[in-house]
Amino acid sequence: MMNVVSLHAGRRLAYEQQQSGDRRQQASWELPRPTQSGDAVSGGDENTRFANLVLPHLGEAYSLARWLTGNRADAEDVVQDASLRAYRAIGNFAGGSGSARAWVLTIVRHSAYAWLRKNRPAAVVGVEDLETVETAQARPGDPDVETPETALIAKTDGARLEAAIAGLPAPFRETLVLRDVQGLDYREIAEVIGVPMGTVMSRLARARRRLIATLGRSEA
Amino acid sequence: MTGSSLHDDPALLVHAYLDGELDPVNALAVEQRLATDPVLAAEYERVQALQHLIRERLPRETPSPALVARITAAVAPRRPRWQPSWQPSMRALAASILVTAFVASGSTWLALAPQPAGTVESAVVAAHIRALMAPQATDVASSDRHTVKPWFNGRIPQSPRVVDLAKDDFPLVGGRLDVVGRTPVPTLVYRHAKHVISLTAVPVDGSANSSPAGRRVEGYNILHWTDAGVAYWAISDMAAADLDKFARLFRTTAPDQ
Repeated sequence: MMNVVSLHAGRRLAYEQQQSGDRRQQASWELPRPTQSGDAVSGGDENTRFANLVLPHLGEAYSLARWLTGNRADAEDVVQDASLRAYRAIGNFAGGSGSARAWVLTIVRHSAYAWLRKNRPAAVVGVEDLETVETAQARPGDPDVETPETALIAKTDGARLEAAIAGLPAPFRETLVLRDVQGLDYREIAEVIGVPMGTVMSRLARARRRLIATLGRSEA
Repeated sequence: MTGSSLHDDPALLVHAYLDGELDPVNALAVEQRLATDPVLAAEYERVQALQHLIRERLPRETPSPALVARITAAVAPRRPRWQPSWQPSMRALAASILVTAFVASGSTWLALAPQPAGTVESAVVAAHIRALMAPQATDVASSDRHTVKPWFNGRIPQSPRVVDLAKDDFPLVGGRLDVVGRTPVPTLVYRHAKHVISLTAVPVDGSANSSPAGRRVEGYNILHWTDAGVAYWAISDMAAADLDKFARLFRTTAPDQ
């Protein structure tokens, strides 16, 4: 792990150079075309499905990517990558009872973590590490169960709230953002993150308690 | 995490209660516990304050128009000789996406699959989507029900029941007239965080009361119920649990004349 982290700066630079190259040359990011013109109808179908299923959720896709990567430029890269993946996989989306929104956000989440692992491995907390964190903080007396006044919470301004959410460990942050910022229900969140509903519930509660404890601390 | 954690930490049920995830029996059990357990009641208040804070103060960001345009352009086939009408429609789509991204930052754009014509539901859904794409979703914009209710008088025979749900985080935004078949019907518009809720009231003579029943149409949740000879249709892109909560509040809150 330490080796990877120490390589991180150089790799990031290489990535940025590559990215700025991509931006100058827009054509390098385009969705694949249907192969032969005889198949024009199916190509149109894919584009229509993409327009119906993915484009309506771009705002939320961007919002999630922004919260997971922490900044705008990276979020844009992630959303582009996720859009490409969604386009390629559009035939796999069954529709019907499944939620297109949860499907799109699942892809965005995968793209975001793939991006983070590649470019900022230090930012990715493994699930094993997290379970240790979770167990350790299940006990009373930890910062988790600090209990500030409700009135103190209500006085928080937007910038401080944003910073406090950004400071949560990724597994807590994504759960809180999906529920309290983006308004998904527990079932959809479980689908997006790929964990049981019970895990969604406990992570959500811990995320909120950490946030409340942070906001309740005096501004230092 | 397994079910046993629920017994280790009853506060999880308080969170689930606030999120509208509990069935009526469990919700009642939580309400009873909240009344007698000050520790749980304090957690309830803190989490509620936090949720309110996130809804009201957290800065929201929308994707840049350049990003939306880039992605939209990428799905438009280049120079499709055999399908000349395609490109303008993609441009129109790009324009509508830009508008919606600006208006709502959420999942508010939808091309509906063709539905059986003439059903009230499809008319209500279409009206909701049209309203989202318009500069504003209401014909009369007011958070005061004493302004909204009289506005309907004189425009339609029966003005709808209007209740104030602002204290429950469902502020009234205004009202508009939608057309179902050839009949103008009143639609109330409420807001919850960034989500718009359209509530259409269609008078139906002699129909029995019915409890809210939910359906999902490509990212939209729809609830339908009948109270006192009026059929209600609530539609929004927010979570089903939140829409359930809205319906429950709307049905149980008195208009306090």
